[in-house]
Amino acid sequence: MGIKIVPRYGKSLKDRLYLPAIFGGMKTTISHFTKNLIDTSNIKTECYPEMQPNDITDRYRGVHRLTHREDDSVRCVACFMCATACPADCIFIEAVERTDGMAEKMPAKFSIDLLECVFCGGCVEACPCDAIRMDTGIFTFIAEKREDFVLNKEQLLNNTARKEEN
Amino acid sequence: MNIILISVVIVNIILALLFSLGAAPILVWVERRVAGFIQDRLGPNRCNIAGFRLGGLIQSFADMLKLVFKEDFRAGNIKERFIFRIAPVIVFVSAFLSFMVMPFADDLVIGTQTFIMQGLPLDFGVLWFLALAGLSVYGIILGGWSSNNKYSLLGSVRAGAQVISYEVSMTLALVSLLITYGSIHLVDIVNFQSGLIFGFIPAWGIIMQPVAAIIFIITSFAEANRTPFDIAEGESEIVGGYHTEYSAMKFGLFFVGEYVAMSASSALMVTLFFGGYNIPWVGTDTLKEHFDIVMIAIIVLLPLLSYKFGGWILKNNVWPKADDKRNNESKWLIRILVMMNIFVVLLLGSFLFFGVSATTTNIAVAIMQVATFAIKLLLMNFVFVWVRWTLPRFRYDQLQDLGWKVLLPISIANIFVTAIAIVAFGA
Repeated sequence: MGIKIVPRYGKSLKDRLYLPAIFGGMKTTISHFTKNLIDTSNIKTECYPEMQPNDITDRYRGVHRLTHREDDSVRCVACFMCATACPADCIFIEAVERTDGMAEKMPAKFSIDLLECVFCGGCVEACPCDAIRMDTGIFTFIAEKREDFVLNKEQLLNNTARKEEN
Repeated sequence: MNIILISVVIVNIILALLFSLGAAPILVWVERRVAGFIQDRLGPNRCNIAGFRLGGLIQSFADMLKLVFKEDFRAGNIKERFIFRIAPVIVFVSAFLSFMVMPFADDLVIGTQTFIMQGLPLDFGVLWFLALAGLSVYGIILGGWSSNNKYSLLGSVRAGAQVISYEVSMTLALVSLLITYGSIHLVDIVNFQSGLIFGFIPAWGIIMQPVAAIIFIITSFAEANRTPFDIAEGESEIVGGYHTEYSAMKFGLFFVGEYVAMSASSALMVTLFFGGYNIPWVGTDTLKEHFDIVMIAIIVLLPLLSYKFGGWILKNNVWPKADDKRNNESKWLIRILVMMNIFVVLLLGSFLFFGVSATTTNIAVAIMQVATFAIKLLLMNFVFVWVRWTLPRFRYDQLQDLGWKVLLPISIANIFVTAIAIVAFGA
């Protein structure tokens, strides 16, 4: 059992003068300043949104996409499971009868309002036929009008997976 | 009254406007960019006019435009409308006027006439500055009181107490300085500093009177309400301090006034302690005698420095998106730089070739001194910004302790020591 003696600072003449400590601090800040001024690439700030981060994991839930069948037609059968599961009520589907024999129904319109979406992944969990996924890796979606944030069926079908499926 | 007199006066007023009012947007930009670089961030760099960003300077103009066009809101419980309205004007005007006595260059001789190169040709500059710097706190006190708001009142009370305690030490530090210089005319003070000590050290105030210099620098930080003495604003403690209730251009006047006051303090510091418009080791007379050598030096040095600067622009002024119009800026900046170089070199070359008259030499020397003053002013303003982003804010009692128990005794002791030295060894 030793007694730990904690040194007390602030009583020496150097500490009480304040100025040496102030100059020390100013030296630190000026070294950062000159380093960054001489070469701004030392700064790790990324010019978002022109530069997008590239260290997103594969499991990150990004913007949705609608998957395709083998013949590139839409896999969705318009069962409304995703719209029912959605806690934010941001999925809007209009169903029509499917005539090519693949399934009974298909969506005529399938739109997702990204301003409403909470990116919970509930739609992906609910989908019985793996028609909607959130693996595009688009973690930020930029638009200039509110209307542009509502993705329609074509846009969702054109979204691709960030990584090739194994 | 003649044309030369009028034109010199106009040039002086324009220079004073440039250094004080024109400096405000530049200083806001410097503050934000330096803060960014010190904290390893970028700071404002996005705003542009047709791709021209000037390193983010355009952001300041955008901010000023925003302040001008914002709604001028006044809360219903503010009863003292006139005082509320006049308070930012007091702050701004006193900061602005206190800049007017700073000498930009040595007395200009054109023909038989001599002009004092100041915004206002007064020969009691130091007193004028002290009077107006003391006045500016009235704006803060009145603004905080008339806002009818506890936080604002606290801010103004703090500002009042702080200025009272620091003005004393500031003035006493100045007294010891004036004993050394033997004049209150700022031009005399600067010319005193053009000499050399022991033949090789410039006789600047900071070397003649280091203690007074440190005290004056500390107190003028307090006078300009800058960190570490910005307890009047204290946004982490009392919302916004005295300008909590202000919006739009009324706030803008406080904001610009702070920067003008900072610039005025820097100008006085440069004038009193850092040789004013003097180029180190080269006095006004030396410049006039050896003007040919000076011109040759400029012709050689300017392209070299411009080359370095151009390389820096090309390396750092890039926008990550390749097809962005902001990427065209560097090209144009380099062109402007080359044009300026060609112009200056041709002008000085023709001077060298054809010889110069005495008046031209005088004017050219004045221009060089104005440039020197501007560079020193900018560096001093940089020190203000640098300190702001290094030090935390003082606590209120620490501030009063420092003012009354440390700075005041030291400045009084300094007066005695200086006076004894002057009496013993002669001026």
